[in-house]
Amino acid sequence: MHPIRALACACLAAGALAASAADNNKITIQNRIAQCQGCHGIPGWKTAFPEVYSVPKLGGQNRAYIIAALKAYKSGERDFATMRAIAADLSDKDMEEVAAYYGAAPARTAAAPAASAGEKK
Amino acid sequence: MSAVPKTIVASALLALALPALAASGDAEVGRKKSAACQACHGPNGMSVSAEFPNLAGQHPDYLAAAVRHYKNGKRKNAIMQAQVANLSERDIADLTAYFASQQGLAVKY
Repeated sequence: MHPIRALACACLAAGALAASAADNNKITIQNRIAQCQGCHGIPGWKTAFPEVYSVPKLGGQNRAYIIAALKAYKSGERDFATMRAIAADLSDKDMEEVAAYYGAAPARTAAAPAASAGEKK
Repeated sequence: MSAVPKTIVASALLALALPALAASGDAEVGRKKSAACQACHGPNGMSVSAEFPNLAGQHPDYLAAAVRHYKNGKRKNAIMQAQVANLSERDIADLTAYFASQQGLAVKY
């Protein structure tokens, strides 16, 4: 076999192997949510020493708030080691899907009094 | 027992009792203190904007930790830092007891 052709074959084979490995290691949104559930899905679960308090309930939380919190952890603006490590690995799409799993409907227009509604930071 | 040790004993007992007092807030008192909170987080603890978190039914110790983090600057948000600056531990206990008593959030698996 011509050396160039042999090299091309080797490259294609390596590429195919890499692609199949990537498929096998594909992280699904179910994997992401399982990561959340390890703490947020367990009733009564608390943070670790030295500052001990309950991990927040996420069921029914606003989607936009969940996404903002994850982004703040990812950027380092919000400081909690576990959440920083987890958020660092999430894409914007991952965050939207996690928020959709936990979140309430984004629009809540009925009950809000006009005077106090819509004030944003 | 002389007067000095009695004072010391009384102070020590009070110091032990304070965290216990702070831990159990009065939801009804909290409701009366919560007008400023309600402007954004809603009268029923469900926020008026999706940008703000719902508080209804949240764990009271998580809410208290969040308020303390805003107070000490660990957590940064201009609105919240200003709102909680003057809250006492008593206020925090009452307010978090109030929002925790509402129907809303749940542990979702």
